[in-house]
Order: sequence, then structure tokens, then C-alpha cells
Amino acid sequence: MRWTVLLTLLGTLAAASGIAVSAEATLDDLSRLQVKPSALRDLLGPISETGRVGWDCLPEHAARAATARAAELPTDDR
Amino acid sequence: MRLHAVLGAVGLALALGTPALGQTYPVATDPPRTTDPNRLRALAVEREIHERFARGLRAESRADWDAAIAEFTRIIVLDPAEPRGSTARYDLAIAQARSGDYHGARLGLEDALRRDPGFAAAAANLVTVDALDGDLAAARAAADRFVALAPASARARYERGIVALRDNDLTTARADFRALVAGDPAYAVAHYDLAVVEIHDQHFDAAETELETALAIDSGYARARFALGTVYVRTGRRSDARVAFDRAARDASDVTLRSLALDLRDRL
Repeated sequence: MRWTVLLTLLGTLAAASGIAVSAEATLDDLSRLQVKPSALRDLLGPISETGRVGWDCLPEHAARAATARAAELPTDDR
Repeated sequence: MRLHAVLGAVGLALALGTPALGQTYPVATDPPRTTDPNRLRALAVEREIHERFARGLRAESRADWDAAIAEFTRIIVLDPAEPRGSTARYDLAIAQARSGDYHGARLGLEDALRRDPGFAAAAANLVTVDALDGDLAAARAAADRFVALAPASARARYERGIVALRDNDLTTARADFRALVAGDPAYAVAHYDLAVVEIHDQHFDAAETELETALAIDSGYARARFALGTVYVRTGRRSDARVAFDRAARDASDVTLRSLALDLRDRL
């Protein structure tokens, strides 16, 4: 009788700890999976017939700009 | 009386002068006068290229991709000299990509770059087209080419960093985002993506520093707040994580991110 109670108790504890470990893993997995890189940027816009004479066109400037704003990069990704 | 007369005269002069100032016409040019058939044909081709560029750009501005494709395809047949030849291919590629023809867009951009290897906007759009097509290897090759062409370009570093990170090349991604941060320290997104690299590489201290920097620049940056919550989870700081997920849920405009943040908060 004592052994039965003891084994039942041990079994219950093992199951409970298994559930806890499983829940922790799920939480960890979920948080890991959802940390994603930002999105790639959209296409740069069209260029007119004379736009690249002297390289004076907005898409070319955006492609070569050294700052995020001038490069038309996203300001955030909420 | 004299003053009134002067003011009246000035007013009249301005009233008469304004329309003349407002109507400016280009300098008149003599029409071409030639009877040489080759010269006449060249002039006609030149005129057609000019008109089709204008019509193609108008079509793109109203998202009429089929019309734009027809105009730019015809320009390419007419074979204008550089830089118009590569520009026509670039504009055609935009219309093709918008209508889902990524293969055609890629060929056009590669041709544009063959004609003008310094065409940075074409190099940038080639990365985007390959990524839209789901071809990560091609996107990476295009991104490498873009960085080689314009190493100081923020967009080149950003795009290659994102493609490298998706491809799990953490060394390249880290180098690109570090270069982006060095060139533009106030750019919060670069700090976020650098943190994502560090999280993937299990460097949670470095990730936390970058996320805190991103949030110091933009406190409402929900995705960065969420990522900080995951760093807290993985370093055993559950109560901090709960606060971070709660704040991320409040700041998020993306519904999926908000519901996930709430779910994780409630699991803690």
C-alpha cells in the first residue's frame, strides 16, 4: 500500500515536471521563432529618359546614399 | 495725390506684368530641315523613344504594367544609346516585377548592368527581384554585387545583411549591420537587426545592448521590445520579459506581433 502511494506520488511529480519543462520549451521556441529580421525594401522607382544624365535621379541617389533616410530604408517595423 | 498716382501706376504695371512673367515658353528651335533618309529615320526614332519613355512612365505611375511593358519593350527594340538603353531595361524590369514576371525582370536588370556596370539602382532592384522570386542564392549573389559596386551605400549593406541573415550567414550579416550602424548610428532598425544576429548566435548580452540602443532611439519600436522580451526569457528574467511583452503588445501595430506578445506575456 505504501509502495503504491509512493509510486503514484513519484509518477505525478514526474508528469508535472514534464509538463513544466514542455511549457518552458514551448515558450522558448515561440520566442525564438518570432525574432525575425526586418523586411527587405521595395523596388526603387522608375527613372525618366534623362534622369541618369549626370546621375541626377532619385533612385540612383537612394541606391548610393550612406544614411538610412536618404537610402529610403524603413524607419522601423512595428 | 502723387502717392496715389505712383501706387496706381505700380499696381497697373504689376497686374499687366504678372501674366507675362507666368507664361514662359521654351526657346524656339528650328525644325530639322533635311532630306537625307537616314537622318530623317534617326530623327523619327529619336522622337519615338522620347514619346515612349514619357508614355511608359505615365503608365507606371498609374500601375498599368501591361501598357508600361509594351512601351519599354518597344524602346529596347529601337536600341537607344547609353544611358537610355539601360534605363529602359530598368524601367521595364519594374513593370515586369510588379506584374509577377520576376524572371523577365531579372534578365532585364542583368542586361542593364552589363550595359552600365555602375548602375547602382539596377543592382539594388536586382536584389529585391530575386528575393521576391524566393531565390535566396540569387539574392545573395546580387547583394554581393551591390555591395561591391557601392560599399558605402546604406541600402547595399542593409539588403545584404538581411539576405545573409535569412541564409544564416551570421558573419556577413553582423559585418553589414555593424557597417550600417557605424555609418548611421541613429538608425534603430540596424541596431535591431544586429541584435537578431546576436540572438541567432546565442550572444544575448550583445543582443540586449543593441536592443536597448534601438529602444533608446525609438521607444515605441514594438518589434525591438518583443525581441528584448525573448532575450529576457532566454536569460531567465521572466518578470522583465513579462513587462517587455506587455509593452510590445501595446506598441505593436502589427496584429500578429501583438497577439503573440500577449500570448507570451500570459504564459509567463
